[in-house]
Formats: sequence, structure tokens, C-alpha cells
Amino acid sequence: MSEGFSYYSGIPTFEIMLGIALFAVLIFLTGMILNMKKWGGGSVKAFLSAFIKSATKEGNQSIIVTLVLDIFLQRRLIRRSPFRWIMHMLIFVGWVGMLVLSLIFAAFEMLSEIGIGSYDLAMIRDGFDAPNEIMGYLLLIGLIIAIIRRIALSDVSKRTEMFDWVLVLGILAITVTGFIAEGYRPDANTLWTFVGADEAMAKTLALFHVAISLLFCIAYIPFSKYMHMIAAPLTLIAHGGGE
Amino acid sequence: MAEEKKKEVKTIPEIPKGQPAIKVDVIDPVSLMQYDACTRCGECDNWCPTLDAMKKDMNISPRDKISRWRDFMGKSYGLRAKLFGAKAIPEDKIQDFNDHLFHCTTCGVCGSVCPAGLNTIEMWEATRQQLVLRGNGPYGKQSLFPKLIGEMHNPYMKDQKQRLDWIPDDVEIADESDIAYFTGCTAGFNQQVLAVSTARVLNKLKVPFVMLGEDEWCCGSALIRTGQPHIGDTPRQAAIHNVEALEAKGVKKVLFACAGCFRAATIDWPHLMGRKPNFEVVHIADYLAELIEQGKIKWEGTLDKTVTYHDPCHLGRHVGVFEGPRKVIQSMPGVKFVEMDRNRDLQRCCGAGGGVKAGIPDLALEVASGRVKDAIDVKADILASACPFCRRNLGDGRDAVLGKKTGDFNKKDAVDGEMMVEDLIVLTAELLGLSTDIKPLPEK
Repeated sequence: MSEGFSYYSGIPTFEIMLGIALFAVLIFLTGMILNMKKWGGGSVKAFLSAFIKSATKEGNQSIIVTLVLDIFLQRRLIRRSPFRWIMHMLIFVGWVGMLVLSLIFAAFEMLSEIGIGSYDLAMIRDGFDAPNEIMGYLLLIGLIIAIIRRIALSDVSKRTEMFDWVLVLGILAITVTGFIAEGYRPDANTLWTFVGADEAMAKTLALFHVAISLLFCIAYIPFSKYMHMIAAPLTLIAHGGGE
Repeated sequence: MAEEKKKEVKTIPEIPKGQPAIKVDVIDPVSLMQYDACTRCGECDNWCPTLDAMKKDMNISPRDKISRWRDFMGKSYGLRAKLFGAKAIPEDKIQDFNDHLFHCTTCGVCGSVCPAGLNTIEMWEATRQQLVLRGNGPYGKQSLFPKLIGEMHNPYMKDQKQRLDWIPDDVEIADESDIAYFTGCTAGFNQQVLAVSTARVLNKLKVPFVMLGEDEWCCGSALIRTGQPHIGDTPRQAAIHNVEALEAKGVKKVLFACAGCFRAATIDWPHLMGRKPNFEVVHIADYLAELIEQGKIKWEGTLDKTVTYHDPCHLGRHVGVFEGPRKVIQSMPGVKFVEMDRNRDLQRCCGAGGGVKAGIPDLALEVASGRVKDAIDVKADILASACPFCRRNLGDGRDAVLGKKTGDFNKKDAVDGEMMVEDLIVLTAELLGLSTDIKPLPEK
């Protein structure tokens, strides 16, 4: 593929990226199967069957309502703590938004690579710059609040374990490396850039950022506190949501 | 604060190296998933009544219990366990976890406030059962339940023939009716004022009702709540027996004045039997509220008191009955109704549930004292409820807070110028001009 068109101003090795992505997805799927086997007493089928039975039981509210009000808008959290809701929504919207944008762009790149259609990838990427930037800042603000909360509030600080820090600091590392990689892009269309932006450095940083994102935010999910991103929505669906 | 009892020494068969230290076979898959869904936000810790009563001993924290069991699951069934064999878990850690889990009243407020919507009641009960099967649980006197309920069909060591001893001569029990009254062991044996009041109220309202009498078995709630439903298959047998006996009487509606039995009949019996009973399960408070709406209740007295209502966990959070009892109390002439700060699904547990009253009575008392203080804060003259266990434990809590012994729980609560703890069915009977006197007890 053309270097200039690839994400973050040209990661030259699309194959390496693809390899890391496939590896991450494979690890993720393996972890999910292990988790489902653990939940299902050794059987994925037993888990799925119990989950479907619970999610479709009489009296549950519509799954659409659960998805919108309980999972996306997290109404149970705002009822308890508007402050934590704002913090969590910033992280949630930022993280999910960037994931969706990355997946869409990766899909265009993929289609382009395998010759299905012809896309102006540079234009698409530039078009994604602003939303990416916004999502990145939302995520960063949410993470900063989360970190300050964990350090400054004594009750929260006392009960914080490495299990919790891994989640926050992991996403922070990804966010910060994303901003740095973006800042080094010579053609960056961002609010700020590093003086003397360096294309070679930009490519290396972009590759590093994407690699840790895939490994940390995809592969590591089933083995860490990230698992709540899947298990909590599934729990809400299984119980038919509601306040 | 409740003091930790001396730990019981239990013999657990040695776990071979590399084998999982815990099993999870009786915990349903969705409950197991929930252990991974916890975000560790700690909201549950802000509400847990046991944690408050234990002066924030974090071993009791719902969040920490979830973390510990998740850790046990990871060590037993996680990636590392799959690759290299399960990691050993020190027995004392599992026993500590067990003991802390059995300090929970299974009130479920942790689930009500959980942003991830965890159904903690199911998690705690199933995990308790797993620990009982393992040999760690239950706790203290809870271990007597299976023998008592299994053999005697009630937890009070009474003969089934004594089931109808409470019925006074003036009470009329129908031979046939669409409606049955399921008395429950506590009202029938130990708090007879509740059974007598219920029966007299129904008679007064011209609601004919049948009863199972000697054929009524304990609902099994105590066994389910304490993780012992498998022992002798007692709760399932009780569910089948009671449901079939009630169906054989041809009733369409069964009234419960005990929140524990009502919860068991609404949720546990259908679950244990794999089918719904062919009758409607109704709590007496909802039934009375319906009659009030229909204008069928004409009060004959006035209370002239400030009354607050404590939602029993088994009636409110577990099943969702919140408004019926309030409607009844608010309709009583002269009542000034006040809500406690924590009410409905956020109510503070009385402390008796989950086997805590039997297993850790000091803790139950401490939790109850907290709830009594809630009622004192709103200057209530009467702390009303709709559950014999709440009535008893809140009564004990009131006595502890006041520093005196006032109650004989078999009779109407009698206090001298102090806050009364009473069931709404007793208040209803009084305001309908009925006697709440129980039949004189036989000489011991």
C-alpha cells in the first residue's frame, strides 16, 4: 500500500500490523473461551445456554432499552454518583469512539489492500483527525480524573489495588503514546505538534502505539480488569437491565 | 460491634497438587460471570449494613469478597491453571472467605446500588452452597437448620400437630375457599400475635380462607439463604409438598404474612420445582392495599401516631413489594407517615436475614440497632414492618438501643412511652377494632 495513505502518516509494514492484530484477536478469543468455560463449569455451550435463558426470561425489559439506557448511558451509575458517571463516560466514550474510528479506518485499509474498491485513504484519515482528537481528549480528561480520584480520595486510595492501576495506567499509556505519535506526524492536523516533527520517529511511535493498543486493549481484556467491559454489559443483559 | 466468634476447625480433604482448590459446579454460569463483571467501584461498600455494623472491617466488604472469589477462580481455572495446573490456595484463606461470606445478611442492597447490575443475592447464596459442599460452611447454629427443618418441618423443634395450636376459638377457618393463608413457622409458633391478627382481620373482612394446618411444612427459606438447599433435598421437597397440598385444596390465591415465606413461594419454589404453582402468591399487605382501594376496609379506630415503615428485604428488594404496605399504613386514621432516609430498594436491612440471626446474633443485633436509630432519627412512634424476622430483630435492636428489655414477641409489642416495633397486620387488626390477644399458652 502507499505509505502516505496509511494510518498515522504511514506505518510501512501493514503486514506486521495485521499480524499483531490477528495475534491480539487470537489471544482475546482464547481468553474469552477460557472465561466462558470457567463460567460454564467447563463448557462454553453451558454458559451460552444459561446466558440466553436468563437474557430472554419473562419480565425482562427490551434489550434495546437495556443497551441504550443501561449500557451506553449507564443510568445505574448516574443514579449513584454523577461525578463518577462523568468520569466513566469520558473514558467510555473516548475509548469506544477511538476503537470504532480505528476499526472503520482499518476496514478501509484492509479493503484497499485486498483490492475491494478504491478509497482515498488520506482523505478518510484526515476526516478522522478531528473526531479522533476529540475522543482522545475525552479519554485523557477521564483518565486524569480517575487517577486523581484514586490518589486524592483516601477511601478510594486505600482500596486501590494493582488490579485497578493496571487498567487505568494501561489506557493512559496508550492515550499518551497516541498523542505523542500524532504530534510527531509531519502532516498532523492536530491542535499541537512537536517542534521539528520527524517522519521516521512518527512511524516508529505510531507502530508502537498501535501495537500496545492491540495487545493491551484487545489481547489483555479477558485476563484483566478490562474484562468488566464485556462481563458488565452481559450481566445487565442477562438480568434484563433496569434501574 | 459484633465480635468474631472463635473459628470453627473444619476438616477439609487434602487437595492434590495441581487440582483446583475450589469447585464452582453449583454456581450458575451467569453468577460466575458476575464475579468478572465487578468494576470494583466500591459503591456497595457505601451501603452494606453489615460493613457498617462491623465498623468498616473490609473483610466483610462485598467488593472484597467478589475480588477474593474471583482470585480463587483464577487460581483454579484461569490461564495459568490450564497451562501448568491449578495454584494452591491456603485453606485458612478459604475458611476466612467462608466466614466473611456468612456474615452477610443477603439483603441485596449491594446489588441494588451496583452500577453493573450484579445480582449479588444469587451470587452469595450459590457461593455459600459451594462452600457448604466443600465443608467450610455454614456458620454457627445455621448447621442445625437441615436436621430441624428436614425432620420436624420447622426450625423451632415443634411437633407438626402443634401447627394449629395458636387458633383461638373465635377464629373461623373455612373448609373450602379460593383463598388460603400460609401461616409460616414463626407466626404459627413463636409470634402468634401475627397469625391471630391475620386470621381475625380476614374473618372481619369476610374473606373466607383455608389453611394447610398440620400439613404445612417450613418454606425452606432458611436452608436456601444459608447455602444448604442440597442437604436432604429439603427445600425442594418442602416446595413440592406445600404447592401440591395447596393445589389439592383448589385455592386460587395464597396469602402470606411472612416476608420470608412469601419470598420463598414467589422465587424459590418455582425455581426448585421447575414450574409455577397453579395459584397466585400474594403478601397480605398487597392484599389489604387492594381491599382499601376497593373501599372494602372501614377503619374503626384511630392511631394518632407517627409511623415509619421498614421494608423487609425479602418483601421489597427481593420481590419488589414496596407500595402496598405504605398504602395500608397511610390509610390508617390518625397516622402521620414518615419515611426513613433509606427506604424502598435502598433500605437498611434489619440484620436478621441470611441466617445471621441464628449464626451471628451479636452482628444481627448491631445491624438492627442501626435501623432502629434510623427510625429514631425521624421521630417515629411506631417502627412498622411486614415480616416476623424484622419484627423480632428490630424489637431486639430497639431494646438494645434503649438498654431495656420490653418485648414478648409472641404478643403485641408493649412498650412504655418508647418506640413500638410492630407488624402492620397487628396495627390493622387493632384499627379494625379486633383483639390481638393470643390464645393462652399451655403451661410448660
